[in-house]
Amino acid sequence: MKLKYFLLTIFIGLMWGSYAQKYITKSGRIDIVSNSPLFTVEGVNKKVASILNTETGELVISMLIRSFEFEEALMEEQFNGNYMQSKTYPKSIFKGRISNIKEIDFAKDGKYKAQIEGKITIHGITKEIREQGLISISEKMISAESEFYISLSDFDIKIEKAFKNSIDDKVLLKVNFKFNKQ
Amino acid sequence: MKLGQKIILIITGIVLVVGIGATCYVFYKPHRNIAKEKPAFKMEASGLFGEFNMNEDLGNEKFGDQVIQVTGKVAEITIDDNGISIILNNSMEAINCTIDAQYEERARKIEFGDSVTIKGRCDGFDMIMGVVLSKCIIIE
Repeated sequence: MKLKYFLLTIFIGLMWGSYAQKYITKSGRIDIVSNSPLFTVEGVNKKVASILNTETGELVISMLIRSFEFEEALMEEQFNGNYMQSKTYPKSIFKGRISNIKEIDFAKDGKYKAQIEGKITIHGITKEIREQGLISISEKMISAESEFYISLSDFDIKIEKAFKNSIDDKVLLKVNFKFNKQ
Repeated sequence: MKLGQKIILIITGIVLVVGIGATCYVFYKPHRNIAKEKPAFKMEASGLFGEFNMNEDLGNEKFGDQVIQVTGKVAEITIDDNGISIILNNSMEAINCTIDAQYEERARKIEFGDSVTIKGRCDGFDMIMGVVLSKCIIIE
């Protein structure tokens, strides 16, 4: 009986140890902006999940395509239907790491440049990406931001002929997360 | 006026009306009103999670983009810049409900452990978030 409690204590201790460096958000924000001379399309997803391991630098991001909101209802329909085909590909995932994690002192307030690399899956297609981000630490709160472009053609997202000239292949992604300790 | 001119005038008129109509349709088409929609499914939070957990693809096929009414215990409440999220069932087997902006006032009265019924659009399933319901309204 005593052994049981002893093992349980060790187990909880180990769990605690492995959990200690993990930070999580379930309400991260990603904005997408498509700019062209004719019109600007903006969408926002305020339900992005992410886990960051501050020890190893491992970073996972996951979001559901249907959670993107657009001002115009028709844009939202088009985005889910023709472009992202959210019925077939309901989510996008990033799995990778912050490669310079050792340069970030999570115990000290400040802003740190982060090198992010890994695999991103959009519209069922996985690509290797390497982007820059910014990690801000303030009173043990970790926030992360990054802005980068992706190319629609890289992910086999097709634009109808009628909109070929009015929708740019490059789409801006603006990432904004506030992590909490798990 | 000659018949030909009349026809041209009528055609021009029709094209104009259709054109304006189409433009209005694009820019003023209202968003789907989840509050007014009848739920396609009424179920317990644990049952909904179970179906997705067993087979995510089947879950998406059955519940994706559908309005679902779920009943469960409040396990977590998150209020931040990105709105209010209420997590039903439990944190590991969650139904993650994003509350519609119009119902935030009502949502603030909900407390941890309450049993609530929420209706929303199912966006899908994720390992971290669980089953995600959007534009949720609080039934009781």
